[in-house]
Amino acid sequence: MTTVTGFEDTRFGSQSTFFQLDDQWRSATGKGVSVAVIDSGIDTSHPEIDGRVRASFEARVDNKKVVFDPSEAGDSAGHGTACAGIISRIAPDAELYSIKVLGAGGLGDGHAFLAGLEWAVKNRYRVINLSLGTTKPQFFAPLHDLLDRAYQAGCIVVAAANNLPQPSFPSVFSSSLISVIKSEDTDPMKFGFHYGQVIELTAPGVNVRTAWPGGGYRNLTGNSFACPHIAAIIALLLEMHPGLTPFQVKSALYAIAQENQEGKSTN
Amino acid sequence: MPGNKNTDLDAKLRRVIETIDIGNLLVEPLTRSIEQLLSASAATMGSNDASVLIRDGDEGDLRFLAAIGEVADQLRDLKVPAGKGIAGFVLSSGQPMVVSDVGGEQTFYAEVDKATGYSTQMMLATPLRYNDEVIGVLEYINRSGPPPWEPFTPAEMDKAALCADAIASLVNAYESAKLFRDLSERLMSDGDEELADARAWLRGVRDTAEHKEMMELALLLRELASRGDAERAMCRELLDAVLRFSDSRSETSFLGY
Repeated sequence: MTTVTGFEDTRFGSQSTFFQLDDQWRSATGKGVSVAVIDSGIDTSHPEIDGRVRASFEARVDNKKVVFDPSEAGDSAGHGTACAGIISRIAPDAELYSIKVLGAGGLGDGHAFLAGLEWAVKNRYRVINLSLGTTKPQFFAPLHDLLDRAYQAGCIVVAAANNLPQPSFPSVFSSSLISVIKSEDTDPMKFGFHYGQVIELTAPGVNVRTAWPGGGYRNLTGNSFACPHIAAIIALLLEMHPGLTPFQVKSALYAIAQENQEGKSTN
Repeated sequence: MPGNKNTDLDAKLRRVIETIDIGNLLVEPLTRSIEQLLSASAATMGSNDASVLIRDGDEGDLRFLAAIGEVADQLRDLKVPAGKGIAGFVLSSGQPMVVSDVGGEQTFYAEVDKATGYSTQMMLATPLRYNDEVIGVLEYINRSGPPPWEPFTPAEMDKAALCADAIASLVNAYESAKLFRDLSERLMSDGDEELADARAWLRGVRDTAEHKEMMELALLLRELASRGDAERAMCRELLDAVLRFSDSRSETSFLGY
């Protein structure tokens, strides 16, 4: 049983309890929870992913606007399939939605992924995996606005931190999303939470073995692969507690990570 | 230009052409410098094979600009279609990626390996950024020595990002020089009759003894700069002395002596 409280601050003592989270989520499978993967597409025929992708969409520019069409293009880069593989392994019954914003000719900049995020929020996918970001300052304000809209719509956006020593958006926004950076841990359940740091969550992201287009597997390193670990954990939590708000989900992650940390220090 | 009475404009244009030509002369060995930097960085990464890919057109395609290692000659000028493979992802996302076990199925790297006879096993790919734009991709392939190899580490990802910054500056200089050269070549070879006057004028500028002398001086400077620190320091001292002499002479002339 995990007691979910506010973020504890020793200056003011412990906050009041929000809710009790039993351990059933640990054996959940993400059933009934929609998870959007905004990325390079997904190889839906991969054995680990086959049957789990409910729909695939692809960005296309039409009259200077980005529109989304049903897609059968799969994934020519591998990144989206790798993220989907991680989610499928932890939350095998989660309903995946592929939103392909990378890979199309001339569509590589922030506009496509901003449009993809907007599309995901409009469709009210409960969890949105965003292993992407942009460092371009012109996207700060529109992304901030969009992330607030996602928060208000109850969509839980999980974003990967920049792998380069430079802040990227939206991962540096603190309040409206959950940002993740890689750790060398290997157990997906043993994620960490560093309250007060710009990127709060840590999850496995070094040498992660996951699905790759064509039916194979790769060992991959990057914050991109830490992000879907947390997206999948959230899918497990939401299966057992569908009514959780983004704020409550973050609080639950914090409480679980505290327990993980205590477990580590007593072991 | 012929028939143009505006001599001020003519002089300014001459100066632009001189600057472009000198710029081209000075940056010509940039690909060699990129390869030297690539070799040095690959050594610190514990890898023998590395390559620099740059944007090719506006559709997200890439082409190999520089490469070191076993199959470097075969890679140069090879193209990577938009969004394909790890390099395509790194270009479009602006994020680095470390992959082990690259070979295997029918992937883009399997195609490249088939063409080159090489065996790509692992890779670290990181974006080349200049002014917040991703202009290309830097890749390190496999490790030195016989396999099995340790995968590239997060610390090496950070190190590669630093190397990428230095290489990106050189790539940007190369791209600028290439743009000027291509524009100039197009102007000189274009059959458009309307530009005949401009071509004649440009040829005239380049044929002057003064312009040729300036190019020789630029070449000399480039040669000296490549000789070593001591030569560069001596060269700078001498040139500073020449400048001071020139300044004092013009001041003297101004006083009417």
